[in-house]
Amino acid sequence: MSDATLELGRRIPRIARFSVAVSPSLIRWTLRTVTAILFAAATAFGVSLGMSAPESPPTSVDNHHVAASNQ
Amino acid sequence: MRPPRLTATALLVLVWLGAALAVLQGFFSAKLPLRFDASLVAHLTGMAAGYGAAIMLILMSRSPWLERGVGTHRLARWHSWGGPLVIILSVVHAIAAVPAWAEVTSIDLIAAAKDVLDLPGLTTALVGTVILVLVGLASLPALRRRIAYERWHVLHLLAYLAVALGFAHQLAGPDLAGRRWLQIAWSLLYTYAFALVLRWRVFQPLFQLWRHRLRVEEVRQESPDVCSVLMSGHHLDELRAEPGQFFRWRFLTRQTWRSAYPFSLSAPATRDRLRITVKARGAGTRQIFEIPVGTLVFAEGPYGALTPRRRRRPRVLLIAGGVGITPMRALFEVIDLPGKDVTLVYRASSEQDLVFKHEIDEIAERSGARVVYLVGPSSDAANDMSAHALNRIVGDLSDHDVYLCASPRLAARVRESLLHRGFPRHQLHEERFSF
Repeated sequence: MSDATLELGRRIPRIARFSVAVSPSLIRWTLRTVTAILFAAATAFGVSLGMSAPESPPTSVDNHHVAASNQ
Repeated sequence: MRPPRLTATALLVLVWLGAALAVLQGFFSAKLPLRFDASLVAHLTGMAAGYGAAIMLILMSRSPWLERGVGTHRLARWHSWGGPLVIILSVVHAIAAVPAWAEVTSIDLIAAAKDVLDLPGLTTALVGTVILVLVGLASLPALRRRIAYERWHVLHLLAYLAVALGFAHQLAGPDLAGRRWLQIAWSLLYTYAFALVLRWRVFQPLFQLWRHRLRVEEVRQESPDVCSVLMSGHHLDELRAEPGQFFRWRFLTRQTWRSAYPFSLSAPATRDRLRITVKARGAGTRQIFEIPVGTLVFAEGPYGALTPRRRRRPRVLLIAGGVGITPMRALFEVIDLPGKDVTLVYRASSEQDLVFKHEIDEIAERSGARVVYLVGPSSDAANDMSAHALNRIVGDLSDHDVYLCASPRLAARVRESLLHRGFPRHQLHEERFSF
């Protein structure tokens, strides 16, 4: 960890002093919202990955087998 | 709002159901008629390894549903046999795929291996498998003992990279490719697993650092090898840390920030103070004795199910060995039963190794609870910790919940003796740590 990073770490309380002032209920709702957004993003990303995945298996020994036996 | 409770049995049923479906898909994808050959082995082990890798990520995600419902030590135990199983399945899959390819393409094994590696996603998957094998080797007890915890921890984190590297191959592989809904489901399994890790292992500790501003307030030497670290912060009640639980602590100094150490709270948490107690076991933990006052602390947790909420019986026996006293000291202060029927048995090799003796005696006097110190060599009959001896100390042992925290060897001895004598497993609560 560089000196600058450690210094930044020491200054975090000064930079983010408002962290202490925020009310617990606002914190709770913020955390729930962040969790919901994270899992919504994970859902969107997962569906997108699945939709764009290869349709034919390039590693399929069986397809090759079928193709070979058809010849 | 507390997260819903997920029991170990419910989780096991879900995990095995998923495993059965993954393996079934391997059977469906294999060529007909089914015969036990390299191709079938490659299909089945590939699906099982891919599924298992995602499950290992989920089990180690530190999600409160799992940590509170199932318990850290049980999750770690499942991971300790599930992890090697995933590695073995991955290696068997890689090995079986080559003769399977050689068979259908009628080429020799070396040409088949070259062919397979040229396929998309296979090189990264192979790199991932090699990393997993290295992680597995480093975790073998014989090697693990020779590697410093800090190095092993960093190496272990590479397993995340290894799992990610294998993902593209799984989606493109013969078991999933062309089956759109399965590909989506498989992708979701992985994105959810990584989302859980991101949420609870990365975001949560960063958030806690920001919100609670935890700092070292004092480092107090308890004995030559043991020190307590007192930390102060804001809104610590929001952590809902219970006595008996632990955090993974990362002290943000140049020397120590890379390592996250699991240490139990050695006193009940208050609104602005937390205390842990550390035994020096190596160079890494020894550095904690020198942590400057004011150091920021990155804390992951609280974890563990060794809490008063586990109690079901009217009487409680707390068993501590050595530095295992830390969670027991916190529990001893808060477990308050009608009739004060709480006994603490504290085993140490010498008087000097008894930490918190003064505090414990004070709590005992105040609460009416009982303390039994067993000090000296274990060969001494007076220090016997068998079920028979414990029964003699507390009276009817079967009427107790037993909380246990000790060195792996002592904990195993006590556990085996209790279970051998017929003590119900569900009344035995323990947290196991080892570096």
